[in-house]
Amino acid sequence: MRLRCFAFTGFLLLVALPLDLSAQQPPGQQAPNRNDIPTITRTYAITNARIVVAPGQEIPRGTVVLRNGVIEAVGLDVPVPSDAWVLEGDSLVVYAGFIDGLSHVGVPAPRRQGNQNEQRRRVRNPGDPPPERAGLTPERDVRTLLKADDASIEKLRRVGFTMAHVVPRGRMLPGQGALIFLRGQTPAEMVYQGEVSLFAQLEPAQGVYPATDMAVLARFRQLYREAARRRQHATLYASDPRGLEPPPYDPVHAAFFPVLEKRLPVFFYTEDALDIHRVLALQQQLDFPLRLAGLAGSFDVLEKLKQANIPLFLTLDLPEAPKDTSKLGKLPDDSLAARHNTYLHVSSYRDVPAEIENLKARQAKERIKYYKTAARLHEAGLRFGFSTRGADPDKILGNLRTMIQYGLPEEAALAALTIDAARLLGIDRAAGTVEAGKLANLVVTTGPLFDEKTRIRYVFVAGELFKIKEQARRSRTREAATTPARAEGTWSCTVDSPDGAIDTTLRIEGQSGTLSSSVMPEELPLEDLTMEGAQLTFSVMTNAYGRVEARLTLSGEAAEGTIDVPGVGALPIRCTRTSGPER
Amino acid sequence: MLRVYLLACCLLLGLTTGAHAQRKGDLFIRNGTVLTVTNGTLKNTDILIRNGKIAAIGQNLKVPEGVEVIDATGMYVMPGIIDAHSHIAISNVNEATNPVTAEVSVGDVLNPYDIRIYRALAGGVTVSHVMHGSANVIGGQNETIKHRYGETDPDALRMEGAPRTIKFALGENPTRVHGRGHNVPPLSRMGVEFIIRDAFHKAQRYMEAWERYEQERKRNPRAVPPAYNERLEVLADILRGNILIHAHSYRADEILMLLRVLKDFGIQRVVFQHANEAFKVAPELAAFGAMASVFADWWAYKFEVYYSTAYNAAILTRNGVITSINSDSPELNRHLYHEAAKTLKYGGLTEDEALALITINPARQLGIEDRVGSIEVGKDADLAIFSAHPLSIYTVCKKTIVDGIVRFDADRDPDDMRLRVDPERPVELAIRWGDRQHGHRCLEGIDLIEFLTETLQSEWQ
Repeated sequence: MRLRCFAFTGFLLLVALPLDLSAQQPPGQQAPNRNDIPTITRTYAITNARIVVAPGQEIPRGTVVLRNGVIEAVGLDVPVPSDAWVLEGDSLVVYAGFIDGLSHVGVPAPRRQGNQNEQRRRVRNPGDPPPERAGLTPERDVRTLLKADDASIEKLRRVGFTMAHVVPRGRMLPGQGALIFLRGQTPAEMVYQGEVSLFAQLEPAQGVYPATDMAVLARFRQLYREAARRRQHATLYASDPRGLEPPPYDPVHAAFFPVLEKRLPVFFYTEDALDIHRVLALQQQLDFPLRLAGLAGSFDVLEKLKQANIPLFLTLDLPEAPKDTSKLGKLPDDSLAARHNTYLHVSSYRDVPAEIENLKARQAKERIKYYKTAARLHEAGLRFGFSTRGADPDKILGNLRTMIQYGLPEEAALAALTIDAARLLGIDRAAGTVEAGKLANLVVTTGPLFDEKTRIRYVFVAGELFKIKEQARRSRTREAATTPARAEGTWSCTVDSPDGAIDTTLRIEGQSGTLSSSVMPEELPLEDLTMEGAQLTFSVMTNAYGRVEARLTLSGEAAEGTIDVPGVGALPIRCTRTSGPER
Repeated sequence: MLRVYLLACCLLLGLTTGAHAQRKGDLFIRNGTVLTVTNGTLKNTDILIRNGKIAAIGQNLKVPEGVEVIDATGMYVMPGIIDAHSHIAISNVNEATNPVTAEVSVGDVLNPYDIRIYRALAGGVTVSHVMHGSANVIGGQNETIKHRYGETDPDALRMEGAPRTIKFALGENPTRVHGRGHNVPPLSRMGVEFIIRDAFHKAQRYMEAWERYEQERKRNPRAVPPAYNERLEVLADILRGNILIHAHSYRADEILMLLRVLKDFGIQRVVFQHANEAFKVAPELAAFGAMASVFADWWAYKFEVYYSTAYNAAILTRNGVITSINSDSPELNRHLYHEAAKTLKYGGLTEDEALALITINPARQLGIEDRVGSIEVGKDADLAIFSAHPLSIYTVCKKTIVDGIVRFDADRDPDDMRLRVDPERPVELAIRWGDRQHGHRCLEGIDLIEFLTETLQSEWQ
């Protein structure tokens, strides 16, 4: 999609250039083809703009000059170079580009090749699977997995992100991370710096060792300690091979060597407070350089995090209230939470409404804890950046406003998006503020960043200009809502799991239905089946993951949405109706 | 100025050490009937608790200033109940992918948010032996926890200083999961014995290899260490006697088998869990010094569990085997006092003997009898206060105390005692979700794998 846009822009440039300069698109967007005529200039000047140099440090009216991907000058009386493309910044505000502390942006979800059963048959002994099945691919470099035209790049850039620390997808040890620019025609053009992290998570393998969190922890200890021994062996051998057996080589252990040498930090993604405790305990046992991302639920672990004193990257995802059509569902969380009575004691069978109200109020209270997490980390003196992994890009700015509403100072929020993230990633000399000499990563807005009415107008990534257009997406959802949809029938679905595509069949009759899948032993009954407008929701109880919830949007004979698997995440699901509904 | 600075330092120190130290309380329990278990029944007796320990037991004790008083007039005070077999408060139960997984530990995945800790407290239970499941011949390591419900740091649950224990499982479960399920040994009870002997032999080789290396290192700075193996490290610790074995077992023949294996490898301490046929080999168990942790009257849920009797606990006790009654269930653990009471009818145990089955005896089986399991001066103040004699069918647990802190109080028991709430799940679901958690979890997490491997087998045939 984006490629096509560029091709079109390129075409416009070629055609319009000699005729009318004022009608032409701004230059800077790189040519899709290296044989094309280069852009006219890579110099830009944003004039008369309010410049937020760093959080709390502003130039009320000044000019920023960018040249060859770097900020050349920032200030009140900066002359505009003659070769500069001028953007009139009156009423606009310039911020440093945002930095994503951990995500999979630009890393498409892999689709498993070939037959899944074929894959399974190869595992003779589930206690000793090949490393890849076990989720052990620490030698994989995310730079080889990038896709320059992945839609996720544009989605994240549109909300102000210019750089990201990206890591491979997978299970326990998916591979090594890199810092990338959110631009470029080829994976190579996207890369800023490679070998910046070893990515890890408490993500068990499916049906083979390590199939539980406790085995993931044990496996990590085994790998780390054996890697230390192998490194010792390799060092001895390197100093003098005579009389020694050569050290064994395998890529999994070798990937730990730079970690053992404290050159490469381990980035652990944590889903909740328990994950944080477990990873911190592991770090205490082994003493490796650690960075934590995710950190939902960290409000329960503040003291330990203070003692750990490590870089943190808080998720930009926030919990959302479940759909509730009752009166209580219309209340904002604050009002709902205010109704909570900690000491309520009723007879469940008699006072069901009172109990339900109290449970909903309790849940609202709990959500507020998540809204306040950023503020509490800040108050505890913990420096953090953000992670966009698992966050819907379109909700990120709204979630930041929620965090601010619940006590996070605006300057701290901006710092976490920019300079603090840069410091924690070790690139603060190159990025994170609007200062001469730094990378030309900028976000240009129509007003104060965290104001609800503010729109992002331009984003510069390493000197490349991207105009941000308002999205017209509301009409489509309204259209879907007005079309009456029926869920009855048999649906053939595909779930994109970290292990590849899983075929699933959904059968719905009236208010009940079943879900069956190639990876499950039996048909599971659908529970809490609801159909509102075109929104189909249900849940199923699985033995392996507990309650799995699905949300699908129907349009005719197709449906798509997500299926939320605890401990795995929200997996995309796409369905087509193969039979029904009965008429 | 200096003083302010010093004060600030002290406060900071207090904060940092406070994160690890357990909360311990002071209490005064007045005028109860105290069932000490090891020292008979004391009527109209007071108990003074200082800093989480029992400081004094006696009549008409003086209440120190500022110590909260619980009036136990007409009530019974017993040692906190100890459940020697439980799967609460952990995120994983079975790593069911390999017949030997000694390297994993449920202690790594403690879940202090589990509401079932609170429910256990409501049944007077203060300590649980939280175990790996029984899918594997040598499963993972277990963890002995105190029910300090309200703390959210997993470390706060650990009973500090409790000996390490590990789960073994004999018979149908491991042969079904691995033999029938994965077509790897053990496929039979003989295979179970083979797996254990094989594991111990490997551990012996491993220990020898490291000993050789340690010797060689003294003369040769360029000595290369042998491969590190987390699994064999743990197995070696079993051989060294540093880890107690708790073996899931049912039949008399497999119990004798394990005794022979342990004798061959010089391992002296073992507790047989479930052990429904232990009554048949009670003298042999007593001679070995092995212990048994059994159900009161629960059997016939699979073929190997048919030959059972409600007299099991009494026969074992009378034969001198240290015996406990456990729950293996987040429902049964709430009325272990009823389970113990059944031995008065089936086998005629005395009240103290019956109470010992759920207090001092499980404490001995876990190696924590010097800390808990009876009401004695100097022991941890883990107590349960009942409205009537705990072996009466009419009794109700009123208060449960851990380290001198009231963690359950029937008079202050609001509906919602969860420590954590899913912020997104619809509330109606949350209610039903709770109902799902009564199931027995000994084989939790293996059905999926079983299915996968069954598919595999059918494809091979």
